Amino acid sequence: MRPQKSGAFQSAKYFAINTFLIFHLVAITAWCIPINSPLTLAFREYLRPYFLWSGLFQSWDMFSPNPKSSNAYLEAVIIYKDGSTELWPFPRMELLSYRERYFKERYRKFEENLNGTLYPPLWPDAARFIARLRRDHASPPGKVMLVARWSHIIATADGSNDRGPWDADVFYSYDVQPEDLQ
Amino acid sequence: MRLKSLVQAWNSFFFAEESPTPIALFRIIYGVLVISTLVLLYPDWLNWFGTHAWTSLSTMNTLEPGTRLNLFKIIPQRDAWIEAFFWLFLGSAILLTVGFLTRLNSVLVFLCLTSIQQRDLFITHGGDTFLRVAGFFLIFAPAGAAFSIDRLIRIRRGKEGAEIKPRAPWAQRMIQFELSLLYFATFCWKIEGVPWIQGTALYYVYHLDELQRFPVPIWLESPAVLRIGSWLALALEFSLGVLIWVKELRYYLLALGLLFHLWLEYSLNVPMFQWDILSAYVLFIEPTDLTRAWNWVCKFLPAGVVFRLRKNN
Repeated sequence: MRPQKSGAFQSAKYFAINTFLIFHLVAITAWCIPINSPLTLAFREYLRPYFLWSGLFQSWDMFSPNPKSSNAYLEAVIIYKDGSTELWPFPRMELLSYRERYFKERYRKFEENLNGTLYPPLWPDAARFIARLRRDHASPPGKVMLVARWSHIIATADGSNDRGPWDADVFYSYDVQPEDLQ
Repeated sequence: MRLKSLVQAWNSFFFAEESPTPIALFRIIYGVLVISTLVLLYPDWLNWFGTHAWTSLSTMNTLEPGTRLNLFKIIPQRDAWIEAFFWLFLGSAILLTVGFLTRLNSVLVFLCLTSIQQRDLFITHGGDTFLRVAGFFLIFAPAGAAFSIDRLIRIRRGKEGAEIKPRAPWAQRMIQFELSLLYFATFCWKIEGVPWIQGTALYYVYHLDELQRFPVPIWLESPAVLRIGSWLALALEFSLGVLIWVKELRYYLLALGLLFHLWLEYSLNVPMFQWDILSAYVLFIEPTDLTRAWNWVCKFLPAGVVFRLRKNN
């Protein structure tokens, strides 16, 4: 029930809480539900600064609208100044123990974002990070290449796990600078 | 329906005072989940958030511009400071869990949690997002009104009696709303995808190597079963988003939701996500039922422990 205490303060408090509630109920609904009418899109743009600032931005599109239809993983090829090379594997969940998967889950998510064309600015940072991991090598790293490997999942009638051939793509190459290894 | 009755329903829903035990219990579970998240991140604190992290602060600012609550933008960018930040965050999460200076620590935990997510949004999953959003509303809730050190202090100082005072649950309602909206939005996103409508979606999900966890019986991976599973998932997500507000259906849906998430926890490798979401289920339990459940638990505890707990709460 409406707070029974009287007084201007209680009324102001009641009004403020209701304004807060109505605004957030409407705003969060408009932000989350995938209805892209011109009105909703305009409203989301209006809300964006507040949602980004407050941390209320959210998206609930797990495995949707389409779940991933290929298995993929990343590797890095490190070419040292003396010409030798090394294959550096990113953590792959399927190769880790159950315990390790809990600790390394973030790598799965990060690789998902690194592997793709949506966020190219992530690539130089990742290449530098990998180069730094090998800065104590006898010969310093000269180049880091990021490689994506993937295989399509083929739906079979009997449900067996059939997959296409593995493809590979060197999607980024970075020349390591001396200051990267500091 | 008359406008007056609508206003009455609104006031009853958000402001009718009730026991704060569900939100206090949620605070404890929430705190444990934040602590767990930090512990799991511990080996990589500096790899993800340090001065030489996988993603630099400047890259993050380029990719995700705008003014944001992000303490990493104001603390000195030195690894010692960043580690200190994490220890402070962990300490605050522990204090929130035990309910000491609850309001202050709920603000600190939210600030720190939103900061680490803003610092690297490319490693966050849906469970993190839920903790962040729920943490925002937890700030406004009477989360320290029960099962807390704050309450013990108030009792000792004579400011509060043995009975837990009822409070307006509006902040709790917003977290409940977030949970139901999460399910409903997920449902809306899924019905936009052909694989979900055709029933082939789970076939792909269960054939992703990175997501497989414990072995699943072969017959459960047959296309027919996975098709039914895809449609059942849609039906359950819709129900948990909409029908959960129907009191008569609530406990059945919560039980189904619990089984659903436990199954996903067993079969899919998405650490923490299921627990983060399940944490808010407690908010849908009636305080009287929580008391009944607590009394049942007390039957199995030593009499001395029960006496002390009842005296405090």
